[in-house]
Amino acid sequence: MSLIRKIREVGPVAEPAGPSPAAQPASGDLKGSVQVRHVDAGSCNGCEIEIGQAFSPVYDAERHGLRLVASPRHADALTVTGPVTVNMAEALRKTFEAMPQPGRVVAVGDCARDCGVFAGAHGIHGAVDDVVPVDMHVPGCPPEPAAIVAALRGLSGR
Amino acid sequence: MNRVEAALTAAGGLTLAATLAATIIPAQWRGATVGTLTTLVGLAGAAAGCWALSGETWHASFPDLLPLAGVEWAVDALSGWLLLLIGAVTAVVGIYTIGYADRSGRGPAARGPLAVLPLFAAAMLAVPAAGSVSTLLWTWELMAIASLLLVVVEHKHSDAARTAGIWYAAMTQAGFVALLVGLSWLAAVSGADSFHGIRAHAAALPAGVRDGVFLLCMVGFVSKAGAVPLHPWLPRAHAEAPSHVSALMSAAMVKLGIYGVLRVAFDLLGGGTRWWWVLVAAIGAVSALYGILQAAVATDLKRLLAFSTSENIGLILLGVGMAGLLAQAGQPAIAALALAAALLHMLNHAAFKSLLFGGAGSVLRATGTRDLDALGGLSRRMPSTTLLVAGGAFAAAALPPSNGFVSEWLLLQALLHAGTGGGTVLAVAAPVAVAVVALTAGIAVATFVKVVGTGFLARPRTAAAADARESPAGMLLAMGLAAAFCVALAVVPAVVARPLRLVLETMRLPQEPLAAETVGLRLPQVGAQLWPLWLTISLVGLTAATATVVRAFGRTRRRARAWDCGDGPLTARMEYTATSFAEPLQRVFDDVLAPETDVDVTPVKESAYLVSAINYRLRIPDRIENRLYRPLIRAFVTIGTAARRLASGSMHRYLAYMLTAVIVVLVAGVWR
Repeated sequence: MSLIRKIREVGPVAEPAGPSPAAQPASGDLKGSVQVRHVDAGSCNGCEIEIGQAFSPVYDAERHGLRLVASPRHADALTVTGPVTVNMAEALRKTFEAMPQPGRVVAVGDCARDCGVFAGAHGIHGAVDDVVPVDMHVPGCPPEPAAIVAALRGLSGR
Repeated sequence: MNRVEAALTAAGGLTLAATLAATIIPAQWRGATVGTLTTLVGLAGAAAGCWALSGETWHASFPDLLPLAGVEWAVDALSGWLLLLIGAVTAVVGIYTIGYADRSGRGPAARGPLAVLPLFAAAMLAVPAAGSVSTLLWTWELMAIASLLLVVVEHKHSDAARTAGIWYAAMTQAGFVALLVGLSWLAAVSGADSFHGIRAHAAALPAGVRDGVFLLCMVGFVSKAGAVPLHPWLPRAHAEAPSHVSALMSAAMVKLGIYGVLRVAFDLLGGGTRWWWVLVAAIGAVSALYGILQAAVATDLKRLLAFSTSENIGLILLGVGMAGLLAQAGQPAIAALALAAALLHMLNHAAFKSLLFGGAGSVLRATGTRDLDALGGLSRRMPSTTLLVAGGAFAAAALPPSNGFVSEWLLLQALLHAGTGGGTVLAVAAPVAVAVVALTAGIAVATFVKVVGTGFLARPRTAAAADARESPAGMLLAMGLAAAFCVALAVVPAVVARPLRLVLETMRLPQEPLAAETVGLRLPQVGAQLWPLWLTISLVGLTAATATVVRAFGRTRRRARAWDCGDGPLTARMEYTATSFAEPLQRVFDDVLAPETDVDVTPVKESAYLVSAINYRLRIPDRIENRLYRPLIRAFVTIGTAARRLASGSMHRYLAYMLTAVIVVLVAGVWR
């Protein structure tokens, strides 16, 4: 009983959804539903925490037609974080090839764009763009969940 | 001369020729000659069966051939059904032997095994042709001894074969003793040795005698049929015997156990009380479920097939038991349908099981192993064998449009139409039986997906599997013939409608359960229809049409590598093995199977917290064997050790025993 009461007392926690964004050029025919596979290419895990939040009840990315999936075989888009390390470069390329084409790539965080503070460090292969073609960037170190949701909403158009 | 008589005489003559050929022909040609002659024995037997099923009967007695009771033969439609089944299996196995027994003259091609093989086939043909109790017992024992000799062919090299031989010998002889007592009792009380004499007196026998005879015969026949709980010899003997012998035993010999139940209970005793049939159906249900569960978790290919035999025998016994129950309850039409389903399933099981054991033999010959966990990837190296085994597995899983499906469909039709008019027992038994058949069929699909998926598809897990070579033409031809029987029984099962009616008449159920349409089956009593030919054509046609449409109009396909999580490459160690495929089932049925797991952690020398090796062992023992037979064996060993004191080695003492025995017998004789 107390559980139901608590649920009633807490009420909805999600942020207001806001108006639907204008469709991004990268969205193509993905209208309404985007399956997302996440790849950590060498991130410090800061971006992972924010992506986790983006799919939490508060930011609730799933109400915009976004869904995290367990295999690139099921995915329309990849989210990639971190500077791409030498060990992950080949795996990232294979993951992109394993997606049904055309696959979109969303680079999340500053490291994904230009390696951030890790640029030129030992074991770094390069930015995400050096390995797979990137369609969208989400800036920030780490980017806020709202920014990630906003970028992904550009793909789903909802 | 009667045609049945002519064919059976020919079979007998060919058997002698084959045995003689095996002893005198040089090793180079021995396998081919004996194989050909055995095939001819089988064809003669099958021809006799066909003629018997067309309505011909044959009866002959030779009172002076053997001492005391002589020999009496009687062939009716029920015998014909079995003659056809055994003859066809023998023909397939004969052709298989031509390829299997190579020119080396060793192993299955040695003189002994090849000489006994046609004798075994002939003994099996003789059992259903026996027309008296003594003839049946003679032929039964001949069959048991011949099969035992064939099971222990590998005894010099393999401990397992020796153990299997001992188990088989002990159980088959114990069953024979039960049979001997039961049938002799029946013959003594009814005052006749021949079947027609017993038939005439059976109705007047006291109830106690009928019940006792039935129980003793059940023990004998069910142990030969390999139904649970009298099954422990079966997975051992079928696994250790050479594959063509396994095929003969599993496809033909165990059916003679069913024949015995049908002959004694339905024909000689003319049906019985209700608890007989509840007992038969219960044994069938337990056997079907336990057999398929053990098959589902088995990793030894031949052991798996052996347990699948237990399962199919269970389904047949379930049909027989329900038929008896329905006939008891005054529903002869549905009873005839259930019995027809059981009889048809005997034929279907013989067809697909000889095919599957042939395939197991091919695999064993090509790779030297029967362990599914060590196989894989055979479809590239042995494409014909793989295709044939897949066909057999399809039938064994009873998926439409296979022959296994037809008989299971008939059985379910009979069970679903049992109704509630036949009393409480029937009203409870029929739905339970439906559930048993459904569960069995479901697990059978998983089992045979495992056989084909982990054994033949995927990548080879060992070097032996990677270097497999396709079998010689003789073996492939035999398997192809068995597959052709499967297809014929699947597509035009209507051909058996008329012979089945004759068989049912011999079992005192003069009904017509199946009406043959041109290409379909109609069940007049329950208003159901099945058109296997159209089913086959439409399924094959739909699949082909879908493939064509997708190829012609679908988008162009992109070739991508198998997803390996970005790592790679994929290796054979990442595949599903037979054990891992069956693991979920094993978990679900944990309480029934009671698997034994054993985890052995070895830490490094310096610290107990650092692990150097973990040894994990999983064994799924036969629980019934452990619970039921181990204590029995221990008791026998104790008694045997204690009785050893009587045999001290002193000749005087033995003479005293003999003298005492003679005196006791004389006194007992005078006393009466």
